[in-house]
Order: sequence, then C-alpha cells, then structure tokens
Amino acid sequence: MKFLVCLKQVPDSTVRVKVAADGKSIATDGITWSISPYDEYAIELALEHKDGDPSTTVSVVTVGPARSRDALRQALAMGCDDATLVTAADTVGGLDVAKALAAVVKEAKPDVVLCGKQASDDDQGLVGPALAEALGWPHVGMLTKIAAVADGVELWREIEGGHEVWTAPTPVVGLVHKSAKEPRYPSLPGIMKAKKKEIPEKDLAALGVTPGAPRAEVVAMEPPPQRGGGKILKADGDVKALAAELARLLHEEAKVL
Amino acid sequence: MSPPTQGIWAIVLLVLTIAAAAVFGYRVLGLYRLLRLGRDESRVDQPWRRLRDEIVVYLGQRKLLKRPYYIRGVGHALIFWGFLVITWGSADLLLRGIVGWQLPFTDTAAYAWILDVFAVAVLVSVVVAVFRRAVLRPPRMHRVPEGYVILTLIGFLMLTLLVFESAAIAATRDELGQLLRVFPPVAAALAPLISTAAGPAIFAGAWWAHVVTILAFAVYLPRTKHLHIVTTLPNVFFRSSRPRGALQLIDDIENKETFGAANVRDFSWKQLLDGYTCTECGRCSDNCPALATGKTLDPQKIVLDIRDQLLREGPKLLADAKAETTAPAHWVATKPDELWACTTCAACVEACPVTIEHIDKIVDMRRSLTLMEGAAPPEAQRAMTNIERAGNPWGEARATRGDWAEGLGIPTFAEKPDAEYLYFVGCAASYDRRNQRVARALASILKSAGVSFAILGAAETCNGDPARRMGNEYLFQLQAQQNIETLNAAAVKKVITSCPHCFNTIANEYPQLGGNYEVVHALPLVKKLLAEKKLTLTGGAAAEIVAYHDPCYLGRHNGIYDAPRDVLDAVPGVTRAEIAPHNRERGFCCGAGGGRMWMEEKMGQRVNHRRVDQLLATKSGATKVASGCPYCLIMLEEGVGAKGVQESIKPVDVLELVAARLETS
Repeated sequence: MKFLVCLKQVPDSTVRVKVAADGKSIATDGITWSISPYDEYAIELALEHKDGDPSTTVSVVTVGPARSRDALRQALAMGCDDATLVTAADTVGGLDVAKALAAVVKEAKPDVVLCGKQASDDDQGLVGPALAEALGWPHVGMLTKIAAVADGVELWREIEGGHEVWTAPTPVVGLVHKSAKEPRYPSLPGIMKAKKKEIPEKDLAALGVTPGAPRAEVVAMEPPPQRGGGKILKADGDVKALAAELARLLHEEAKVL
Repeated sequence: MSPPTQGIWAIVLLVLTIAAAAVFGYRVLGLYRLLRLGRDESRVDQPWRRLRDEIVVYLGQRKLLKRPYYIRGVGHALIFWGFLVITWGSADLLLRGIVGWQLPFTDTAAYAWILDVFAVAVLVSVVVAVFRRAVLRPPRMHRVPEGYVILTLIGFLMLTLLVFESAAIAATRDELGQLLRVFPPVAAALAPLISTAAGPAIFAGAWWAHVVTILAFAVYLPRTKHLHIVTTLPNVFFRSSRPRGALQLIDDIENKETFGAANVRDFSWKQLLDGYTCTECGRCSDNCPALATGKTLDPQKIVLDIRDQLLREGPKLLADAKAETTAPAHWVATKPDELWACTTCAACVEACPVTIEHIDKIVDMRRSLTLMEGAAPPEAQRAMTNIERAGNPWGEARATRGDWAEGLGIPTFAEKPDAEYLYFVGCAASYDRRNQRVARALASILKSAGVSFAILGAAETCNGDPARRMGNEYLFQLQAQQNIETLNAAAVKKVITSCPHCFNTIANEYPQLGGNYEVVHALPLVKKLLAEKKLTLTGGAAAEIVAYHDPCYLGRHNGIYDAPRDVLDAVPGVTRAEIAPHNRERGFCCGAGGGRMWMEEKMGQRVNHRRVDQLLATKSGATKVASGCPYCLIMLEEGVGAKGVQESIKPVDVLELVAARLETS
C-alpha cells in the first residue's frame, strides 16, 4: 500500500509562545519547531503498516516556508521513504494549502492520504477535509487504526466511550487522532540517512495554485491572562467555620458554586 | 631431601609437565582467539598507574578487603598470598625434579617457615570456604560443583605439601647437623608421626601426588572460573583509565554505521576479558539496588551471559568471520527490561574485586537499543525528545529556564562577563519547584561568601547526562557541544554545579569533546568557603539530627564522601547521622540515575522506597535526610510521602541547611 502523509511544521509544544509586535501573529525568533503532534501520529500509523509489510511506501509532504524542511527530515529519520517540500509563505490560507496538496497527491497517486486531524498551532482542522473535497475522495476523521481489507481499508475511529469501524474504498483521506504506539524515536542510522536524502522542492505556481486573498483574517491575538495567586485559608481549629468560609468564597468570589 | 626423580622418573616428570603445559597453552590460546573477536580498544595509557593498580588490587587484594566482606576477603587474601608463595616452591619442585636447578630462597629456613605457615592458613581458608558453600549458602553465590573441585584440589595440594615436608624431616632427622636446623613448625610437629624408615617412601608418594595435582590444576584451570587467578592480572592492568563516572565516547559518531553492542563482537576485547575474569562471587549482585528491589537486572548475570555467549557462539564466528546469522545473540532483543532497570549507580563496579566494568556493558547494549533500533521505553523517548526540543528532560519551556532567579539579583554571564564562576544550574534546579529552592539557597550562600558568579539563564541547556545514560550518545554529544560552545563563547573557566550529574558530566565527560573547565560541586566549595572563613554560620535554628544520603554521582562515581559530611558537621545545631551500613561507598541509590528518573518503575519495590526503609531502619532519630543531588531530593521526597513519614523526616539538600544559618548582616 502507498501512503502519503501531509504534515505541518508548528512551534513545538514546549515553546512558550509570545504575541508578536503586530498583535496578530506570534513572535517566531528563537522558536523550536517540530512536526504537529497529530501529524506525528499519522506518520507512526503509516510506518506501523510498513513494519508489517515492507512493500509499503510512506511519503511525506508539507506546504510551508523553507524551515519546514527540518520537519520533513525528521519524518524521513523516523523511516518515511521520500519527502516533498512545497514552499509557501506562512500566510497562505488553508484552502490554498489544500489545493497545493491535491496537486501533489494527484501526481503521487497514493492509496491512502493521512493528515493529522488538526494542526496544533491554529487548531483549525481545515486542510484535511478541504483536501478530500479538492480530490473528490472520501474522508474519515478521528482515526486510531487502519487495516487493509479487500477493495479498501478498514478504519477505526475513536468516539465517546469506544470506537467505530468503518470501511472505505481507496483512495481515501484519513484524519488521524492518535496511533496505538507513541511516535517512534528515530534511530541514528535513520537520522544520518535522512540527512543525506534529497528533498525535492516545488512552489505553488508549479502546482498551478495562485494564492488568493485570505478568506479569513486573524484580527488580534492575546496571551491568556496571568493566573492570580491562590488564596490559602488558615485552619485555626474551627473546621465548620472554615468550610462555611470556603463555600462563601467559592460562591461569591470564584462563582463556581 | 633431593626430589624422588632419579633416572627415568625425571623423564616421566618432563613429559607430564610438557603435556600439561601444552594443554594449558592450547586452551588459553583458544580463549585468546575468542577474545580477539571483540572490537579493538586501546588500554595502555598511563602505564605507571596500571602497574600501581596491579600492586594494590592484584597483589594487595585491595578490592577484596571491603565492607561487608572483611572475613571472606581475608580468607581469599590468605589463599592468594599462599598461592603466590607456594607457586614459587612449585616451580622449584618441577625444575629440580626435571633438571636439578634450584630457585633462589627455596632452600632457606625462612622460606620453609613461610611455606609451612601459608600451607596451614590456606588449608584453614579452604575449610572455611567449603563450610560457607555447604552450610551457610550465601544468597546469589553460584554453588556449582566446580567450586568444590577447585577447593578440593587446593586442599589436597596443601595436605601433600605438608606430608612430604614432614616425611623429609622424618627421613633426615638423624642426619648429622639436622638437629641444629630450625624446622618449620607444622611439618616438624607432624614429623614424629612418621618413622625414619618410612620417611623416603612417604616423601616420594606425597611429592608425586603434589606435583601431579599441580599439573592437573593447570590443565583444569582454563575451563573454570578459577581462571581468574590468571586473567585478573591483565584485567586489572587494562582497567579503564577514564574517571569512573565517564562513559566511553563514540568517536566520529556521524560517520559510523553501527552503534553499541548487539552481539559479542560489538563488545571490546576488554569487556570480553571481564567475562573470563568473573569469579562468580556475586558481590556485584549483592549490592545492586535494582536486583535488591525485585527487578530482573542482575549485573553478574550480564557479565556471565556475555561470557557464555562468547564461549558458545565464538568458535562459529572464528570459523566464519562473516557469520552474521550465527549470532542472533540478542539478549539485547529479548531482555531489554534488565538493561533499562540499571540506575548506573556503580555499586556493582565498586564491589567487584577484579575491576569488571558492568556499566559500560549495560550502556553499550542500551546504545544498540536506542541508536540502532529506536527502541528505548516510551517514557525515555519522551525525555529524549524533550531534551532535543526544549533542552530539558521534563519538556519545560526553554525560555523560562532562568525564571527561578528572577528578582534575586543573580546576573547572567551576558550581564556580568567577568564573573569568576559560572553556576551551571541544571534542569532540575531550574524547573523543579522543590529544587529551585536549592538553587536559591546556593545563590544566597555564594553571595554571602562574596563569590563572583553568574548563570547562563535561558542559554543553558541540559548537560546530556540522561541522554547518554539512556544510550543516546548522539543526543549527548549534541547537548555537550552546544554547552561547550556557550561556555567557551563566554570564556568560562570555573564552573559550580549543585547537581552531581551536571558535575560528573562537565568535569569527567566534557573533556572527551574538548570542554575543559575547573568544575566544582557546591558542597566541596562550601567546605572551602567555611574553612577560609568567607562564610560564617550562626546558631539560632533548633538542634536537629540529620541523616546524610550519599548521591552515587558524588560518592562512588567521584569519591566525594567527606566534603558533604564536613559541611553538615560545620552547620550549627546539626548532628549528623549515617544510614549505616548503606552509606559512603555502600550508599544505596535513590533510583533516579541512568535516566531512570524519567522512566516508569513497575517491577518490584521502588528503589527510593527501599532507601527510605533503610533510612527508617537506622532509628537514628533523624528529622531530616540531607543529600547533595536534585534527583535524590525528588526521589526521597516521593519516598517519604509514599511511606507516610513526611511529617517526621524531611528530605533537604545540605545547601538548604547551610543557607538557613547564614549570618544576615
């Protein structure tokens, strides 16, 4: 089976992000970037197939600025076979990203396209479904497992309190929620091989995509309010009074009761 | 008396000796060829230190005479020293018997006395050893028949020696002048039991029995663990010259294709020699905190597994150098839980009488798992990813690394480029709330003593210790290089650490990558500041008993046992207690070293809980337990909490006790 995983490079989850001077984007200097966690699960899901069946190929693609190449290298180091970088400014909108990906998919002709269910930076969850629309393929969300069956794939979706099993014909777009195992840690030979691999680069124009004006715009960004210090009630013997005071505070000040 | 080898008998002895030497040589050569299957490693630097080790460790039996093995150690030392003395006599017997040459001193009364006394001492030791094996049956001792065979051979050698010496005295007692000779005490005491007439025959019989036993011993030796009497000699000579806390560097890592050890050929010849040298005494296992708390790891088994693998698979590999498939080997693949249970506390290395290097083997196998297979436990992988991305194993934000120092007026090196010392804070003291208090305590101590220091703030990153010990040499080297670049760019010369792991890595491992600094752990520095009267402590705080817990990377790995105790003793109102017998070089690990801090501990009892048990068992009345390591502090905090004794005994860092008594002027 042939997999194509679409990934996005995002600020690593350990980064404490700051709002940039323009008030509507984040300051990117000194940031550690990594593959969006749901996309890492998608890679792991595809690679688990490859573990079981060595004839499986796993390709990765991203649409993003030149630094996204590092994310592709990471995916190659994990064991993906080849990578494609579509260079585009950060500001290119989700629909245009989906169009560019559709062009790459049409060329690569995979059986299964996997995306993370959403990127961990903007949490829009737009590109995956948009890509399926652009391709005219079925798409299934919240995947935790894929198994090959006759004429297609069996897809496990996580739902409240359990899971559903769907089947779909290939080609299909799957949006990944989680993999059974944590995304693998690359081996050192894997890292070294990935360093030497050629990563072909394409731009939007070559794929026939002309970025249109964004259909949505971020107007403002602000950090969450600073957490205030907690309040400690002194216990001086009278537990009942203390409990009454706590109830009063929860009701009147915290307004949770 | 002249040897009973007149005429044809000298030829018989010659033939027997050559035959025994040939079998011995053939077997040793076979072992040597197997050894050469291992990878190359140079172990000949510092030859004088190596010779000194031979004298102290081999001849002096230094590593046998250790707590709690004094009696066994003395028993062994007597057998060993006796063996040396008697071997000289044995060589003399063979030479005189075959060609009539005599070795120096062997005809002196003094030598006869020494031989006599040692023969008895060895006999007694053999009896004690048999008694231990058969009756006392110490746990984890391998009671294989081999042990009894060897003890019987040694005992028989001593008996025949005494008998032929007595017979010689008996046979010659009437000879002129012999009465004036000072006879060896035991043989002389036995001599009257033998008549003058029977003397020569008994002498010849016992003499031949003795000599043939020596030869049989030589033939049997290479097939047994008793080979250690030979292999300990090279094993001590070629012991690592690295500081104990330093793991071996993988040089030129970017251009290598295989890493770590997945089968016998991946170990160095010295690591294989360790296997030949193991005496199966079980001291390593006796002291292993993982084994003691019910993990599957057994350091002795690791050494013996490698040896057995070599003896089993080696001949096939010798026959076909490319026999990749003949050694699926792989205790690596089948027993990773054992390997991940190691805390690298070095209790095994400390306990081993013959300088076997257990940690290197375990880390080499971890390297194979992590670097070749990407097969570290998921929590370990998470910690490594965090180090990669955030510069600390907890995955806290890189940018907030220096936040603990906010408002304390502690400059960064950028702000104070001429600071004398860099305080390398480490991840734990930077991010862990409990340990931040230790960092603040040290800062206040340094300020009070007028020490010129600065920190790196957000420019500091994990020193790489956990990554290296989880087998990720590559990540370690990336981290180390990054820190070395930062330190060199800031022209740092002297480094203070409050974490023994930071201390060990920067002091002992960074030189491997070209980072050379004068590194000091905070406690020896505080001791110095106190001695120089730069630091004055006042009473005021209530008197308290404080137990000291030895961190492995201060104590066993770096020999810093006394400085922390001296500092504790200098703190007004503090009475120091020991967690005996698990203190100093027998200190019991907290369970967090070797990257274990970030791994789950599901098997057996938790190591830190056992440590708290030991602490409570001393009934010292201690209300605090002090250490000098952030990992120990975290583990002890968890341990006293789990045992429900957090109200009666509080874990602290020694630095906090000092800081609480600073003179505020």
